[in-house]
Amino acid sequence: METLNILVVDDEHGMRHGAERVLRDFSLRLPDIDGEVRFAISAVASGAELEERLATDMPPDILLLDHKLPDTTGLEILDRIGPRTLDLLVIMITAYASLETAVAATRRGAYDFLAKPFTPEELRGAVRKAARHLILQRQARRLAEEKRKVRFQFISVLAHEMKAPISAVEGYLQMIRERALGESLEAYDRIMDRSLIRIDGMRKLIADLLDLTAIESGQRMRNLTTVDLNEAARQAVENVKAEAQQRDIRIELDVPPGLILEADRTEIDMIFNNLVSNAVKYNRDQGRLRVSADRAGDAIRIEVQDTGIGMTSEEASRLFNDFARIKNEKTRHILGSGLGLSTVKKLVTLYGGEVSVTSRPDAGSTFAVTLAGSTWQPEPTKPSETP
Amino acid sequence: MANVLLVDDDQDLIEMNKTLLEQRGHTVLVAYSAAEALQVVQANRPDAAVVDVMMEKQSAGFDLAHQLHAQMPELPMIILTGIRKEMQLPFKYEPDETWLPVTKVLEKPVNPRILADEVEKLLAAKK
Repeated sequence: METLNILVVDDEHGMRHGAERVLRDFSLRLPDIDGEVRFAISAVASGAELEERLATDMPPDILLLDHKLPDTTGLEILDRIGPRTLDLLVIMITAYASLETAVAATRRGAYDFLAKPFTPEELRGAVRKAARHLILQRQARRLAEEKRKVRFQFISVLAHEMKAPISAVEGYLQMIRERALGESLEAYDRIMDRSLIRIDGMRKLIADLLDLTAIESGQRMRNLTTVDLNEAARQAVENVKAEAQQRDIRIELDVPPGLILEADRTEIDMIFNNLVSNAVKYNRDQGRLRVSADRAGDAIRIEVQDTGIGMTSEEASRLFNDFARIKNEKTRHILGSGLGLSTVKKLVTLYGGEVSVTSRPDAGSTFAVTLAGSTWQPEPTKPSETP
Repeated sequence: MANVLLVDDDQDLIEMNKTLLEQRGHTVLVAYSAAEALQVVQANRPDAAVVDVMMEKQSAGFDLAHQLHAQMPELPMIILTGIRKEMQLPFKYEPDETWLPVTKVLEKPVNPRILADEVEKLLAAKK
């Protein structure tokens, strides 16, 4: 619900009173807007009083401005407030048959005009138009601001996280250029391999950041279909088979056939891939990995369990933050962007679900994801307050 | 020749600087976090230290410099910082006895050869 402040600027008592009576119980339901719009009406009788009111921290949203005022005219007021870029709309009240004034008013920035005498219905109509325009305008501005913020954050974070691998590769290249390890090329194999690994890491980071930003800014086109979770889980396991085999890690798949969900296949894949690849990366050689899924009431519950290095509860508490990387001797040689789990968390939210972890150091971790069933409806998106 | 402690959470930056310093005959001790650095200093007395300003936490290196200085006031230190104009930290990065008790501040990226030169300057001054 939203309440807009309407300020009537008219020296005629009858007009002020009349407008208040017509609008005080007036409410709107606008098509693009969630909830009702109601109005709080107040009134002033001169240009000077208007200025006072504009200076407060409860400025009006809509002005009903009479052209003839004791100390000034409506047009003069429009001239004065025009350059101030106030966040309000002006409906000018003009005398009958004064089309000139109406045109002059709109030229000076008035949104609309009402010619006296007007009916209550005409008043409500003008207010409805103005309210809708104002609310949509504010929504658009907020969205543009948020988009700018997300983009700025993306770029800042990208710049920050890229610095380390760039420094590393640069340092290695300087060593090669200065023949720091002698004239024989073999001596440089290791640092060239390390450079390539760091570059691969940068590429992954960019890819992960793009995924994350697309999700956060709602730019990804979602394609909701019937997703077979057994198949999605199978695919994720297939993707890590080579590495698992190399390290002799056994994978168990326990997902009933026919377990389906209305979902975006790419998003489900991302969830499975992130959890399963982590379960291999952080596992010990000859360890085990279990991927299971089942219905839990109307929801779907997915679990990915490993016998890997595990983590402390302090480490677990940071785990789902952007760029969270648990850095200790056990994880030192494991590469990652730190975005996988924060992406999983954001994706899971799109399904009204949750992701959590239980873990014991050196014993292993179990990640549990719940995805709401098809009866879950996302809340209609409200224009969010700027944080 | 001398014991040099390198503290940085990036294993490649440690690797390249360690390689060059060892080439010049020094013994290199490494630590990948502030906590590890303090443990290493307990067990060994380095003759000089190079500390990266930011590790697991934004001010990790800065705090470590203070702790090392408290434990070993005579230890000459170089602190490596990110490019100054990008660092949005509210404080300045100039060596200062109370604020930043290091001998030298170097802006990353530092050519490993240049870092080794700077470490040797520290060691020479100590004698």
